Amino acid sequence: MVAGDIAFLVLATVAVASAFGVVTFRNPIYSMLSLILNLLSLAFFFLTLESIFVATIQVLIYAGAVMVLFLFVVTMLTPKGGGISGPDRLRWQWTAGIGLAIILAGGLIISLLNGSIADGAKVAGMNGLSAAVARYGNAQAFGEALFHGFSFPFEVTGVLLVIAVLGAVVLSRRFAHE
Amino acid sequence: MPISDHVTAYLIVSALLFTIGAMGVLVRRNPLVMFMSIELMLNAVNLSFMAFAHFLNSVDGWMFVFLVLTVAAAEVVVGLAIIVSIFRSRHEIDVD
Repeated sequence: MVAGDIAFLVLATVAVASAFGVVTFRNPIYSMLSLILNLLSLAFFFLTLESIFVATIQVLIYAGAVMVLFLFVVTMLTPKGGGISGPDRLRWQWTAGIGLAIILAGGLIISLLNGSIADGAKVAGMNGLSAAVARYGNAQAFGEALFHGFSFPFEVTGVLLVIAVLGAVVLSRRFAHE
Repeated sequence: MPISDHVTAYLIVSALLFTIGAMGVLVRRNPLVMFMSIELMLNAVNLSFMAFAHFLNSVDGWMFVFLVLTVAAAEVVVGLAIIVSIFRSRHEIDVD
């Protein structure tokens, strides 16, 4: 086994285990911390896929800023005692959910292993990413693609963020008659 | 050939993470945890985009990851605002 394989297996184990933690921890704060671990392991996956810039924004924006906002709301809304609510009135839900999840995972993995994706994914040099990275560096290649080929989606993203900020302001405003 | 050189390995990890996220949305009652499971699914898809960007040698995957990241941030802002305003009027937030 080479070092890349060991790194892949360790990262995959951490990612899947922390994802299970998100679903199974009863206290939402533990779920939250587990989700942050999952996002960090994905950032390391991105590093092994040779994209330093996206790994950096994954850590700074996602695991940093978005998750701090999330953790703030979780601690605000979780009552004392960890927010563990009363007895589960829908016990069959877990059985049904796990059964459906096994079916989904099995179907996805079978179709991945039987498909021709693995053969097709070796067509090199379509947009010359590695050449661009070698020429300009990682962040510059990202910016070049963002502002040349993808400038319209970039502008739409700006509009979307403005709408999201306005929506949050409208939703969290206290009205005078309350 | 090491397994980390196959795109299928990354796609299988991504499929597992997506499935766990979908299971979380189905089985949990706390809307905050359901939200976290949605984040899990978005990130699983991000991983497969990054794997395809690397193995197809194309920058499009990075762009999609960037857009998904922004949409996820906007979704978190609006969704949490909705959950907070529900909590203000009902004082419990379980969905069942």
